[in-house]
Amino acid sequence: MDVNSVNPILASFANILPQIGFQTIEKKGLSLSGSALTNKGIMINISMVGPLKGAILIGMEMDAAKQFASRMMMGMDVVDFDSLAQSALSEMANMVCANACTNFTEVGIVGLDISPPTLLIGQGGSVMLSAPKVIVVNFLIDGIPVDMYIGLT
Amino acid sequence: MSVIKVMIVDDSPFSRTILSDTLQEAGYEVVGEADGIDNLIETYANCKPDLVTMDIAMPGADGFECSKLLLLHDPGAKIILVSSMKDEDTEAEARRVGVAGYVQKPIEAELLGRIVQNVLAPDTLFDTLRATSLDVFKEALAQSVTRMTKTTATFADAVGSDGQFTSQGITVVIGIIGKYAGSLLMDLSFASAEQMTETILRRPAKNRDEMIAMAGEFANVVGGVACSMLNKKDKTFALRVAPPSIFFGTTTEVVSPNIQVETTYAETDYGRIYLGIGFKKGSVLWM
Repeated sequence: MDVNSVNPILASFANILPQIGFQTIEKKGLSLSGSALTNKGIMINISMVGPLKGAILIGMEMDAAKQFASRMMMGMDVVDFDSLAQSALSEMANMVCANACTNFTEVGIVGLDISPPTLLIGQGGSVMLSAPKVIVVNFLIDGIPVDMYIGLT
Repeated sequence: MSVIKVMIVDDSPFSRTILSDTLQEAGYEVVGEADGIDNLIETYANCKPDLVTMDIAMPGADGFECSKLLLLHDPGAKIILVSSMKDEDTEAEARRVGVAGYVQKPIEAELLGRIVQNVLAPDTLFDTLRATSLDVFKEALAQSVTRMTKTTATFADAVGSDGQFTSQGITVVIGIIGKYAGSLLMDLSFASAEQMTETILRRPAKNRDEMIAMAGEFANVVGGVACSMLNKKDKTFALRVAPPSIFFGTTTEVVSPNIQVETTYAETDYGRIYLGIGFKKGSVLWM
């Protein structure tokens, strides 16, 4: 996958997060990895089908996930990563990927569709994607480290 | 059937008046009006409509944002976009937001009536999918076990419906896309994967990567076979599978927060294979 074609996904991240209560979105790094990834705490998998196929994953450490969910829920304390927090993060991933599909249509990549999110909770777990190369983008979202893995072919 | 109650969301008083007249002439009751996002939820909560008509271009939050907010408040809300804008982009966005229908202004009463009827009719196709999908995926799994390993699989009677489980070792996640989007989850232990790989390759697995690849390929076959069977039952399902994502290596909890996933497991010669399948409702009708 062309590195430039991650732009619609990055634009979506920058567009959606302010709508759900985040102010600063800093891109800290962009790198290329193989198809094997490590789960730092939680990972949200959304599959994509159409002219681009594969998966987009959003990952964070457990503490970061709780902070992120807390911010999404107007600062409510998130002590356990419970079903409400799980639902909030999954919904965020869903919105980001859905919006990315819309952005892709603007650059002529039409007909993408996404699956519902699946959340994998398990620090230190391994992930194997079908795409041979995965683009990894590291963000700091209001100081919370969030990683995005784009494995599309 | 009692009179259908409609709420109108539109920033223009003129448009609201026209729409209100059209709806009332067609026999609907207009129970509430909102001019934007500010009084949207309050009006909806107060007037409890059967459906909401939603303009797209509004100052501040547009119809998509208003629809998202409303669906967050009530996931069962039935929203019909009513706008003079209607193109590929807005249709795609409308689909993703999950509104129930989309009609272009100026509205013809007869067309609106048909859309309202469709939107309020029970989604029997989705109900069919929900009622049959687990059995179809079970059959596909049993078939695939037999074809690939020449052994048989039997299924547990117990079916879970919270969709949450702890992985036995390897979890394969396969997204499904079509008229309804969904997820296929398959889970097995490394020991099972090792034995299955040995049977299928007729030699011991060289390494863990081979077992993981086998698990991914096996789930892919199960998903493909099951979706083909469902598409044969009704071609409007148009289901397609996404490439697998495979998770392994530590104790992992697998959760599907946004859909109801039914789970069961197959007893095979190689151990238990968990199967989870769920679809998301997105009754979208476009005219």
